[in-house]
Amino acid sequence: MDESETLGTVLKRRGFSRRSLLKFAIAMTSSLALPPSIAPLMAANLARAKRRSVIWLSFQECTGCLETLLRSSSPTIDSLIFDFISLDYQETLMAAAGTAAERTLREAVAANKGEYLLAIDGSIPTKDGGVYSLTGGRSNFDMLMEFATDAKAVLAIGTCAAYGGIPKAHPNPTGAVGVEDLVTNKPIVNIPGCPPVPEVLSGVLVHFVSFGKLPELDDRKRPLAYFGTTIHDQCYRRPFYDQGKFAKSFDDEGARQGWCLFELGCKGPVTHNACASLKWNGGTSFPIESGHGCIGCSEPDFWDKGSFYTSLAGGSSTGWRNAGIAAAVGIAGGAAAALSARRKPGAEPAGPDPEKPDPDKQP
Amino acid sequence: MTDLSSFSDAGLVDALLMEVAGMLGRLIERGETATVDLRGLPLSPACIADLESRLGHGEISVQLDAAGRSDIHETGFPGVWWTRHADEAGRPIALLIEVTTVPDILRADPADMADSLQRLAGATHFASHQHARHG
Repeated sequence: MDESETLGTVLKRRGFSRRSLLKFAIAMTSSLALPPSIAPLMAANLARAKRRSVIWLSFQECTGCLETLLRSSSPTIDSLIFDFISLDYQETLMAAAGTAAERTLREAVAANKGEYLLAIDGSIPTKDGGVYSLTGGRSNFDMLMEFATDAKAVLAIGTCAAYGGIPKAHPNPTGAVGVEDLVTNKPIVNIPGCPPVPEVLSGVLVHFVSFGKLPELDDRKRPLAYFGTTIHDQCYRRPFYDQGKFAKSFDDEGARQGWCLFELGCKGPVTHNACASLKWNGGTSFPIESGHGCIGCSEPDFWDKGSFYTSLAGGSSTGWRNAGIAAAVGIAGGAAAALSARRKPGAEPAGPDPEKPDPDKQP
Repeated sequence: MTDLSSFSDAGLVDALLMEVAGMLGRLIERGETATVDLRGLPLSPACIADLESRLGHGEISVQLDAAGRSDIHETGFPGVWWTRHADEAGRPIALLIEVTTVPDILRADPADMADSLQRLAGATHFASHQHARHG
């Protein structure tokens, strides 16, 4: 593809109409929680957009993030948007290796100095000089600091890159940290999740391509559109929570009726992510819809906060306890009030009595 | 998977209908269009079905084939449209209530019209040329 071509030109050549682009923009404004009225502007900007360079470095990670993001592509305009991201370096995907790959990386950085997006998945080990994860003999720390210098922004993809994730779990033998612990002079977008919701990355990229800037972020540097509310805020089981109807075990009558999984350890009330609205596997479902509580994988230190099956209301593990009690402040009002609260970024849900017995300990 | 398809919260549906009524009032008074993004709200499938049913079906139904199918119909309340967009795999990508005289996506784009004028002129020229040869 000619680097100077616009997305509009490519779309026209491939038989996509302007209505198709507008429809895509409508879907993306919905995904980004932008006003629907902005869709025509987004479509016009996308039509004029040119390719943007992305350099992707994988550090201390399991490749799950990349796997899930690859699964997000489909033969639609979405894939064309990814054509408009020139993925100039990604060790797992690129054919080149060794010195050829290194040369590609240097050339991409030189050609897009100050303009490329640096995408990172995986945490950065800092203990013992960072020897626990090396690429071509260089530590992740050295590579991050070098390539962040000329980046326009850094995308920390997945909980490991955002907060250290599982490599950071106690006792953190490698001294793992997240990107924001090291890079302090560049815009950073955290897209946490283990793995992250692929559509969130698509949304961030589309926003960047169409408006030339990053989307609005919250105080943890997460895209507000996707992380502004909790799983609980958006959960379709929320009405049962408001009615005080809780499943007591995974196979009881309440569970079969789809009652709230709070007492079975669901971390939805304190987990900010878009699983409940965007869902997974092409919008098929999300863990709570499949009958399992949220494990809070997009929150910092989720692995060290105790059992996935201990209620936020208490129990033997206390990692989530403060957050659980904070979530318990306030009582839900009527349906319209609850709906309003769910649309407010950062609004905390009402919770049940934190003194309620731990279901794990019930006979 | 748990089936909650039968669960509908009438309070939520009523609140939404009141919001739509307010939007329609502003369309009439000030010409202000508005859209409700239903996928951004925590509505069960039953809630959405209930809402669609209570809005009803008006005189216009449109099927749009653009990067997947879209179904748009005017509800039983003129000025209020129900829009469902799907991608090429048939997966839903947007579900909207649009409060407007005509949804934007149905209008022909000026650039597309200019392009079609050229093509139409070409077709006419071709047609007249063919007619001259065989006539």
